[in-house]
Amino acid sequence: MNSVADEAGDEEITPTEIAESIRDCLELDEIDSVPNVRRYLGEALDAVSDGMPADFVAMILYAALGALREGS
Amino acid sequence: MPPSHRVHQLPGGARLVVEPMPERHSTSMVLMFAGGSRLEDDRLGGVSHFIEHLFFKGTRRRPSSKEIADAIEGVGGFINASTDKELTAYWARVPSERMELGFDVLFDIVANSRLDEADVEKERMVILDELRMYQDQPQDLVQNLFEELIWPGHPLGRDIAGTEESVSRLTRDDILEYADAHYRLPNLVVGAAGSLGIEETIAVVGKGLGLRPEIDGALNASTPGALESPRVLMRRRETEQAHICLGARALSYVHPDRYALDLLNTVLGEGMSSRLFLDIRERLGLAYDVHSFTQKHRDTGYLGVYVGVDPKKAVDAVNAVLMELRALSQTEVAEDELARAKEFTKGRLRLELETTNGVAFWLTYQELLLGQIKTIDEELTLVDAVTADDVKRVAVEVLSGPLQMAVVGPFQRDGAFRLAIGA
Repeated sequence: MNSVADEAGDEEITPTEIAESIRDCLELDEIDSVPNVRRYLGEALDAVSDGMPADFVAMILYAALGALREGS
Repeated sequence: MPPSHRVHQLPGGARLVVEPMPERHSTSMVLMFAGGSRLEDDRLGGVSHFIEHLFFKGTRRRPSSKEIADAIEGVGGFINASTDKELTAYWARVPSERMELGFDVLFDIVANSRLDEADVEKERMVILDELRMYQDQPQDLVQNLFEELIWPGHPLGRDIAGTEESVSRLTRDDILEYADAHYRLPNLVVGAAGSLGIEETIAVVGKGLGLRPEIDGALNASTPGALESPRVLMRRRETEQAHICLGARALSYVHPDRYALDLLNTVLGEGMSSRLFLDIRERLGLAYDVHSFTQKHRDTGYLGVYVGVDPKKAVDAVNAVLMELRALSQTEVAEDELARAKEFTKGRLRLELETTNGVAFWLTYQELLLGQIKTIDEELTLVDAVTADDVKRVAVEVLSGPLQMAVVGPFQRDGAFRLAIGA
């Protein structure tokens, strides 16, 4: 997730690749151990699907990362 | 120690507060009127601020703004005014031997202003520009949006300068009527501090009181209704930084726990040794500017946090702020941290009261809004009496209310922000 967030503003990574990475994260059981991480990832996936700019997606992914950092 | 100030009842219902500071070279004087923007309905939004501007445009004896400024600046002094939500203040600071001149100019502008139609139109343009400038300054805009959330639909939640619609619509008759109703002696507290004699000051002030004594009972301000739920208010702006204000309703300036709230605010976000600064800026590197602040009124107030942050890190920073807020309501502040906050608060108050202007404002503000004056020693004793348990209790009380968050930045939608505060 960290690399997806860091590279979300990078032209070399496509929205499809970002969406795939988020879906991979959503399949991990660990994300349910910290409140809101699953919901942030869901928001991020919606944002990618709706064609939101990469920086906006990155913001939501960083929020998920922050929640993981503080919750772990 | 007996108080060094004296309160004197003036004819017509006005009051005078005087504090001799014989070692100073200056005297500061303040004319403070109860009122301000919270008394204005939507139609009259901004009228108090408009009047304050107009009073500097000219009087019958000093027909232009230049003559008003020259009178004070000609002796090296300063003159200015400010409109707040519950008061409007006109002040001057002059060399002590020119005290009479300082009072003469201040009384002249509040009692004898010409309020010309042409000046009304010119000043309207200036104020509209001022309001548009706030829209272009994201830090001002986010603060205004935050207050709109904290006091929705209430004059306290409106910009002191009004709205473009209200300022565009105000007529000279509206302005004259409002000024006549509010610039009355019972609404006035005069303050003076500096190298002055008490009896001499009473005599000088007594000569200047040209305002009318009656009052029309217009000071009945309504109390804002309760907040039901957390809310996010966002304005999209293509800014480099995201600007965020979040917080909750807090205490009034008459609440007995207000000193505990001030210490809580200091621990949380005042200065470079505060928790927000050390955690969000120094440890996490999330924001360049992060701080907390309070605002207090007669029956309400708030505790807020401002964060200026890289848009990509905006929600992450909000979550980090929320962690700090939660920590204050879950764990008592350590004794040494509380002791540092007390020294910070007491030191700031002492520094504020170094100048004649600081003392004049401090005394006048207390007499006008509280109806009584605490000495600095009484104030410091109340700060010292706050315990870690008091701070935690206040944190629990304040943070049990619904959080409100204003956001200005390059964002398409607010879902992630709403998620952060459960809105």
